[in-house]
Amino acid sequence: MKIARGRNRLTILAGAALGALVLAASAGQAEDMPETPQAEPWAERTTALGASGAMPEGRLSLRALNGLVATGEALFAAQFTSLDGAGRPGATQAIDPTRRKHPRKQAFMRTAGPDGGSCAACHNQPAIGGAGDFVTNVFVSEGFESADFDSLDPQFSNERGTNHLFGAGLVELLAREMSRDLQALRDTTLTEARAKGETVRVALLSKGVEFGFISADADGSVNLDELDGVDTDLVIRPFSHKGVMTSLRQFTVNALNHHHGMQPGERFGARWTGSDDFDGDGISSEVADADVSALVAWQATLKTPERVIPDVSGWPEATALGEALFGELGCATCHRPALPLESLAFADPGPYDMSGTLNDRQVAQSAIYDIALMEWAEALPRDAEGRVLVPLYGDLKRHVMTDNQIDALGNELLSQRFVDRNIFQTTELWGVGSTAPYGHRNDFTTLDEIILAHGGAGRSARDAYESSAAHEKSALIAFLKTLVIVP
Amino acid sequence: MKSAVLSLGLGLFSFACAGPALADPVFTADVPMLEEQAIQAGIDHSYTGPWEYFVGGGAASFDCNGDRLPDLFLAGGASPAQLYVNRSQPEGPLAFDVHETGLAPEDLTRVLGAYPLDIDNDRHTDLVLLRLGRNIVLKGGPDCQFEKANREFSLDGGQAWSTAMSAVWEGANRFPTIAIGNYVDRSAPGTPFGTCEPNQLLRPGQGAEPDYSGAQALEPGYCALSMLFTDWNRSGKPDLRITNDRQYYRGGEEQLWDMRDGRAPRLYSASQGWQRLTIWGMGIAETDFDADGLPEYALTSMGDTKLQKLDDEADENRPTYRDIAFEMGATAQRPYTGGDPKPSTGWHSQFADFNNDTMTDLFIAKGNVQAMPDFAAFDPDNLLLSDFSGTFHEMGDRAGIALDTRGRGAVVEDFNMDGMLDLLVINRENRASLFRNLGAATDWGHRPLGNWVKVELDNGAVNPAAVGALISVRTGTRTQTRRLQVGGGHASGQSGFAHVGLGVSERATIRVQWPDGEWSHPYRVFANQHVRIIRGEANARYWYPSGPVN
Repeated sequence: MKIARGRNRLTILAGAALGALVLAASAGQAEDMPETPQAEPWAERTTALGASGAMPEGRLSLRALNGLVATGEALFAAQFTSLDGAGRPGATQAIDPTRRKHPRKQAFMRTAGPDGGSCAACHNQPAIGGAGDFVTNVFVSEGFESADFDSLDPQFSNERGTNHLFGAGLVELLAREMSRDLQALRDTTLTEARAKGETVRVALLSKGVEFGFISADADGSVNLDELDGVDTDLVIRPFSHKGVMTSLRQFTVNALNHHHGMQPGERFGARWTGSDDFDGDGISSEVADADVSALVAWQATLKTPERVIPDVSGWPEATALGEALFGELGCATCHRPALPLESLAFADPGPYDMSGTLNDRQVAQSAIYDIALMEWAEALPRDAEGRVLVPLYGDLKRHVMTDNQIDALGNELLSQRFVDRNIFQTTELWGVGSTAPYGHRNDFTTLDEIILAHGGAGRSARDAYESSAAHEKSALIAFLKTLVIVP
Repeated sequence: MKSAVLSLGLGLFSFACAGPALADPVFTADVPMLEEQAIQAGIDHSYTGPWEYFVGGGAASFDCNGDRLPDLFLAGGASPAQLYVNRSQPEGPLAFDVHETGLAPEDLTRVLGAYPLDIDNDRHTDLVLLRLGRNIVLKGGPDCQFEKANREFSLDGGQAWSTAMSAVWEGANRFPTIAIGNYVDRSAPGTPFGTCEPNQLLRPGQGAEPDYSGAQALEPGYCALSMLFTDWNRSGKPDLRITNDRQYYRGGEEQLWDMRDGRAPRLYSASQGWQRLTIWGMGIAETDFDADGLPEYALTSMGDTKLQKLDDEADENRPTYRDIAFEMGATAQRPYTGGDPKPSTGWHSQFADFNNDTMTDLFIAKGNVQAMPDFAAFDPDNLLLSDFSGTFHEMGDRAGIALDTRGRGAVVEDFNMDGMLDLLVINRENRASLFRNLGAATDWGHRPLGNWVKVELDNGAVNPAAVGALISVRTGTRTQTRRLQVGGGHASGQSGFAHVGLGVSERATIRVQWPDGEWSHPYRVFANQHVRIIRGEANARYWYPSGPVN
């Protein structure tokens, strides 16, 4: 039996929230559909799938955006079922569609996945869209050769804590602008090299963050040996601990397959695999493009974490000292308090994804989610040029995090997507006060421990912290604990 | 050559109706839209001439001015050959300018085909012109300047009717070994039947400059129309495969020469596993579907295309092949559109990934010899796209290449550096066709195809373009390979970036087996890049075309 699910099967009343979804079976329903009463509210399937209808296009009004966001939140919270298409007996967790050599019957597998019924099953601390405790760790494996690993031995996978998503839309927008800057620098360097007939070497700099150097030859070649903390195509990939995922859309497509066995058509559909049921679970077209858009819209418009100083005696003073020390000790070298953002217009699909994740060349017109429409966006600080100062406490750059003495963050055996095992993107600290435990494996219970685990590029700041007076260390912790998520 | 009325042998054709001769609605991958725009692009060229030019009609694609854009040298037969310099803007419309070579007009006529390679290792691509009469070697210089180098290279072009060529660097030789395939000896008694000219093997001398004075005859010759040095058994030592035209030979067959280093070549025999096959061989294309190091070959002919795979049941190192064309849907034995039920006539063949979905596709140039009544008159070129199970589907009509022309040679190349393969087809007695790949059609325009990577190798001082090297591209569980070769096709060759479709993969790991057999370390590259791998360097470089991206 094969069940076809298309977005046309479901309609949604404008503005309806999740609980008010009204479903109607379309006349185009597949003939072999079971006689399941679709409209019954207790139906064991996710009613929000397909609710977005056609792909959104153009600049969305606040009303339209809110509707899409509501659907996105419903999808993020949904407990996907086998009737939705959850499970992937015939496919692995790999980002590139990969068939299993042997089908697996179990719906869930704690290590190789699917390992969650819903996105929110892990992203829930302190609220939906948040981070996750150690128990929500996931196991990152390419999923090509060792699809069925059931061991926690690090030779099979890297164990990763669940990141929070608050402010993620601004993070992606920052990354896009930085990618644009770096690629523009490459282009102008090539032009200069060609004009001069000689090699030209330039520093790569965007928003004050240095990414090493490139050398362009007169023949149009670019030497990439001196890059620092960015991929060779000069695309900033701001998501995941490693900094290897380009966009919320890409990550969403990855995660739907990996964690739930819900396969979006834009990568796992017949165009790229020859089948609309690549995972072989009997459900075709599991996640429509517009479903992914809804999930992206919800994540992209999640409010930013805030700075909340508890009304507790001594905490404000400690915070002030700690913030000063944050700069003086060198923490802010990588954990930059803010990066300037020129535009709050979030295009989805975006400009830097490649085929397999929808991008702006693959659709007639991208949708624009104007984050400025969000009420919370009004409170974002701006600089004299009108740019939003995104208080992320990060630099969207990868750094070596170990050295010969301090190697706690080099506890993996596998590189991930070309990034060596001891290299990680600077963790954005906004929200860190709400997202213990810490570290890429979620195995540091205190902020003090994770600070002292900084080796490599973080070593000097770590040593400065270690040699600070006890009250100064305490003040730094006090400051960090004011960076919280307020749902 | 098939000018005579063909009354015999039709029974050899497989006219089976099975196989995807028609556009198949179950094909789900992208179909590239190939828009013909030769005239708009500045290419106005025809391959013309009488009987001697019923065959040939080749093209060479290579960079002649150092901008890495593929330029074109087009054979003209009785008409002059022409050099077109590529002026296309990155990702923009195709554009070419005619370029005066400064060569004597008589040297540019009677040209049947051309193959590019850097014979003297000076990093300027040279050209070997296959001619009716004396073959000419053009030594490339800066800014698309050429000079005749037969004397400098001690290469006697002979007086034969040359129709095929291949080249490879044997062993530690400083210069390439060149094989020239010849057709009918028009001066022999009883010509044209049973009078095939011997082929020629030009091994270089051991001096510091190219010296091809020691030519050897490869006898017997069976009227070669395509030849290819190929490492068919992953021995690291390429042998020479030749496809021959049964129309004129007597007692002939397809050939595989055992090229023992420094020793006289010997034909593989039946006792060694080589099975007799007689076809109207027109073109050879090589690929390696499963990247096992044992390549498959498409052989064009009249009627069925052959698709040969080393027989799994044969003993190791025996060149015994079985034909998998039918099971893969690649026989392409008659026109897929137009209603003519007669068999078609295949010429140039080339494997490539036209839609960047990681699956290897097959292009075949088709066209009646001239006016052979037993063969289809309207005989459109084939675009056989592979689905994800490895079955070919004919998509020539949907893609837009089903023109009423007589195709001969061709080049599958990315002329505007957008990562999507374009197509040039030389047509007999008709204008050349130049198809721009626009991507997949949608209701709002065209969308790009899958991801891709293009790879250029730099092997160093000797054989700088790394002819003979193997490029291995790994994405997920899939490995694709490309062998850099000079030869094959129908009188047409190309040099420059090797193109690999990557589908939905955004990165790839590349390893190179250099021509001397040494494997490189892995190079990690991102998709949608022109990659330069320079032997000895730790990291790959990227290359970007000049000019604004459209």
